[in-house]
Amino acid sequence: MKLLIVEDQPKTGHYLRQGLAEAGFTTELVADGTTGQHLALTGDYDLLILDVMLPGRDGWQILQAVRSAGLDIPVLFLTARDAVEDRVHGLELGADDYLVKPFAFSELLARVRSLLRRGSSAPQETHLQLADLRLDLIRRRVERSGQRIDLTAKEFSLLELLLRRQGEVLPKSLIASQVWDMNFDSDTNIIEVAIRRLRLKVDDAYPNKLIHTVRGMGYVLEERFT
Amino acid sequence: MIQRLSLASRLALLFAGCTAVVSLLAGVLFNHASEAHFIELDQQQLDSKLVALRSTLQGVDSPHAFAQREPQLRADLSHQPDLTLRITAAGQRWLDDAPGMALPDAPGLHSLQNAGTAYRVYNAALSPGQPGSAQLTLILDITHHQHFLQRMQRLIWLTVGLSALATALLGAWAARSGLRPLRRMGEVAAGVSAHSLTQRLPQQQMPAELAELAQTFNAMLGRLDDAFQRLSAFSADIAHELRTPLSNLLTQTQVILTQPRPLEDYREALHSNLEELQRMAQLVNDMLYLAKADHGLLTPKREPLALADEVEAMLEFFALLAEDAQVSLGGEGQAHTTGDRGMLRRALSNLLENALRFTPAGGEVRVCLAEDERGVRLTVENSGKGIPADVLPKLFDRFYRADPARREGSSEHAGLGLAITQSIVRAHGGRIFCESEVGWARFVIELPKGD
Repeated sequence: MKLLIVEDQPKTGHYLRQGLAEAGFTTELVADGTTGQHLALTGDYDLLILDVMLPGRDGWQILQAVRSAGLDIPVLFLTARDAVEDRVHGLELGADDYLVKPFAFSELLARVRSLLRRGSSAPQETHLQLADLRLDLIRRRVERSGQRIDLTAKEFSLLELLLRRQGEVLPKSLIASQVWDMNFDSDTNIIEVAIRRLRLKVDDAYPNKLIHTVRGMGYVLEERFT
Repeated sequence: MIQRLSLASRLALLFAGCTAVVSLLAGVLFNHASEAHFIELDQQQLDSKLVALRSTLQGVDSPHAFAQREPQLRADLSHQPDLTLRITAAGQRWLDDAPGMALPDAPGLHSLQNAGTAYRVYNAALSPGQPGSAQLTLILDITHHQHFLQRMQRLIWLTVGLSALATALLGAWAARSGLRPLRRMGEVAAGVSAHSLTQRLPQQQMPAELAELAQTFNAMLGRLDDAFQRLSAFSADIAHELRTPLSNLLTQTQVILTQPRPLEDYREALHSNLEELQRMAQLVNDMLYLAKADHGLLTPKREPLALADEVEAMLEFFALLAEDAQVSLGGEGQAHTTGDRGMLRRALSNLLENALRFTPAGGEVRVCLAEDERGVRLTVENSGKGIPADVLPKLFDRFYRADPARREGSSEHAGLGLAITQSIVRAHGGRIFCESEVGWARFVIELPKGD
């Protein structure tokens, strides 16, 4: 997966590149709009991450050039501007997503993965599995080491999300949005409580823990060998 | 032109104008009265002269008889230098002391001007009742009356002018001293700046007309002062709220870097920093949200919403938290409105979170919906200690925390939640308030009815 980052602030650009590279993406970073537009039109990228305010050509102009060239690359905007009109403007021009600074890197990573997944239609799965944890999507049943676990509807959705995106750190805001459809910043600890309860049923009785907390970032479902 | 004059000059001019009109009117009336009086005097004089003439010329009915009496008549007339006589009978002038003067023929009193002199002309029959009687025309010189009248008119004009001038000057002085409270008001207004918003106009010493203005002015100063205090408190609070996490970050980072440590320590420090940073980011985002609301940039979408569904979704979201806190959470009622789903959910989420935080274990949080023809009413009620009455008006202030123990920046709740909720409700054209007694507290959102 090849990503183009157009960001004129060196520090932001640097950490974006490092973070995305460590998450397994090939990234290219440019600091001005003119070069950015040239690369976006000629390079074969899977995703563009654009700042709005750029020297040369701004993010909107690059997006317009990309869309009028008939390219259907997903575009994610990063900006400190947070006016509703801006958001509407960006989405009208064909931006796929929009993140306002300051944002959490885990949030960016989650959105990047969502955008990249959107293109490829995943085959209809009937089962999700990690280690000895198995989730049956059709009968809506969960088993661990062959033992049936009873989950509420929301607990099932939460576990399904964690399983579908296993190995990814999911920020609380993403979990609230995906499982409960709560699309706002909330400083409640509801997600913590939900995860704690899920752990109680899924992890506590087993030596091999699967749900992990990444402090300050979110939660991840993965098998860790210590 | 008059709009640009000072109030005092305007009043002075108006006074002068009024005086001029009044004295002019009085002068004109007086002039008319004296003229009428003179006419009356002349009439009387001419009547008495007529009686004398008639007695002198009694029985005269022919030019011949007249010629006999003429010497006596002349003698009579010689004592009356202001009187001139013309006697006409059957088209003949028996006597004409004013030849060439065109005189009116109609009987009665007339006034006329001839060669610069004013006359009163009186026509009467010599022998009244007798047909064909000779006609007497008495012509009285009234120049001295006219002179008097002219002098008086000059006097009237002088009086008009002088009294207008005098009242203009006096009026200017009176207006200036009468408007002194207004000037004082102006001085206070000129002295108002961000540092002297506490200054007030002395309402008691104001005249009745200005007392209301002074009160309005003072009320405006009060509101300005209040807004300014809040604003400066807000800035101070922002600085304070940011200073605590910043100082944590600085200290922790510096301490961790003073000497080499195991890798795990660095990781731990970074995680801790991350938490502080996230708190700061959340704070900045919340403040930006409020700033947008202050600038009227918070424009809610207008989609039809069944509030019961939204409440149900929120209750489901908060169910775990309530269960954890051993608080029973429930909702009832139906209501429909148009609004922004995301924003209203956020508002409700803040209220529920707040309610759950202050409800003791075993307590209850209840969301009620109601609607009537005036609008929609959403209440979030919780059991607990209740909120003291003196705290109620401050609840929606930014950075206000009901719990003093949470006042320090260490809390994860910056105290912006209710302020944000209020902004959202206001952006929807509604209002929010809180009522409380011992044992319960209730937040009420009133929204206009959906389209």
